[in-house]
Amino acid sequence: MIQVTALNKVYTVPKRGEGLWGSLRSIFSREVEEVRAVADLSFSIEAGERVGFLGPNGAGKTTTLKMLAGLLVPSSGERVVAGFDPSKRDPAFLRRITLVMGQKQQLLWDLPPIETFALNRALFGLEEAQAKRTQDELIQLLELEPLLNRPVRNLSLGERMKCELAAALLHRPDVLFLDEPTIGLDVRAQVAVRRFIAEWNERSGATVLLTSHYMADIAALCPRVIVIAGGALRYDGPLKDLAERYGGGRKVVVRTREEAPETLGPFVREDGALVARLPSAEVAAAVDFALRQVAVADLSIEEPPLEDVLSKLFAERT
Amino acid sequence: MFRAFPTLLRIGLAEAVAYRAELVIWVLTATAPLISMFIWDRVAEEGPLGGWGQGEMARYFLLALIVRHITSAWVVWELNENIRTGSLSPMLLRPMHPLVFFVAQNLSAMPLRAVILAPLIVGVLWWRPELLWTPEPWTIALGLVSAVFAWAIAFAAQVIFGSLAFFSQQSLGLFNVYFGLWSLGSGYLFPLELAPDWLRQVLLWLPFRATLATPVELLAGLVAWEDALGLVAAQVVWAVVFVGLAAMTWNLGVKRHEAVGA
Repeated sequence: MIQVTALNKVYTVPKRGEGLWGSLRSIFSREVEEVRAVADLSFSIEAGERVGFLGPNGAGKTTTLKMLAGLLVPSSGERVVAGFDPSKRDPAFLRRITLVMGQKQQLLWDLPPIETFALNRALFGLEEAQAKRTQDELIQLLELEPLLNRPVRNLSLGERMKCELAAALLHRPDVLFLDEPTIGLDVRAQVAVRRFIAEWNERSGATVLLTSHYMADIAALCPRVIVIAGGALRYDGPLKDLAERYGGGRKVVVRTREEAPETLGPFVREDGALVARLPSAEVAAAVDFALRQVAVADLSIEEPPLEDVLSKLFAERT
Repeated sequence: MFRAFPTLLRIGLAEAVAYRAELVIWVLTATAPLISMFIWDRVAEEGPLGGWGQGEMARYFLLALIVRHITSAWVVWELNENIRTGSLSPMLLRPMHPLVFFVAQNLSAMPLRAVILAPLIVGVLWWRPELLWTPEPWTIALGLVSAVFAWAIAFAAQVIFGSLAFFSQQSLGLFNVYFGLWSLGSGYLFPLELAPDWLRQVLLWLPFRATLATPVELLAGLVAWEDALGLVAAQVVWAVVFVGLAAMTWNLGVKRHEAVGA
């Protein structure tokens, strides 16, 4: 559904010196520097996949999404989305995709959301009966009924984002580019948006490429992640393998009835408990070993926090 | 596109109603012809000026007020804001040209403008009942056609300056310069007939007259049939030039937008 090959984007940014002298000098000699936002990026995504697109601030995530949606032209490289070259912004292509940007809203600010829905139905030339059915489905899934007739400016951020998602999906696109769809939302709204995205993906079979700084979004939604840093690919694969490869393994914590020894097989004593960090494959054997060697009061196996895994990955080679 | 237009107009009107307070202020700020009417009315009290008596003067400015409102556009501010804030991006991802959306938005406020303007017109006619005249059908027909071209030129000019926001932070400043020249050269502040001969000759070659004075003079019955066609022909030429320039500026701007992002 999405095919990206050796994609590059280089921005030319004006350079300006500090202070008054710097400002004056920039009038006469305009210095520019090239910033490589995306570097030789290649990946492909199958129809119906939900993929998390991760990276630190300025990694090139939004630039990549904009190139895939056709808002930005790459400096070089190829990308094909739903069989189209996005640069042309062919109406047939625009009917098959949607881009939701957390901070750039398409809702009509002073009118109720129902008016934006009517506008989008008209702009996309949707068949009225089918569009109404989709609209009703979205209203029910996102629980929008009480919000439909209130001016958008009177809605909370979370309510607006839910309406934004509905407006963006009325034309039932096959590809969803979601750029920080939960940014600034409270925990309840985040959960609602997350649940909706998963359910919509299952119902419609749409492909989802999602960026988020909230790891809970990624953990809940994306079996596969693509990680970029400095515009270049750092990791592309299953989320669970990411933790395995970069998280230093799972943490097994054994609390004993009596005082724990300093070391025990793969375990060392930390804060009075026996702790071992192990690859998944070795966890069962270690637990079995501990159960046989000491009187166990409590036992836990923890996944490394995704935030830690990613920090480690971002720090590597950047 | 045509199927969507009624919905666009309906939503544009709903937006205009939502912004009604702002719209009232806008309409009232564009009532300079009324002020001019009072000033020139006093001047013409002394006797006809350039062949214009009080009646012609008041009729001219009343029509200038009406034409100014039926040909007004505000796409320059919309474009400027949408480009600067990045809100243009979602519009570029709809399968309809953003400028078609803006055309509908600008046209759809007309009925509300008419409602706001109506009491002013009634007030002026009550003050000067002799202003009610019986125009010849052809002046009305040609005047209305001319008003459509005037609107097209005004809208295209705003698209040109609005699209400059793709390149510069100063696009509204540049538009203000254009608006200043337009106020002087369009017949908005004074009838061009009363300008010195040299200025009238210069203005004949500039686009401003085509955006206001031409439809006003036609509707007021101040132009002979043989001159009328020439004036409308000049409007057609200016409309082609401005629409062409608007398309060019827009396309270059969008290309830049695609290169550097929002």
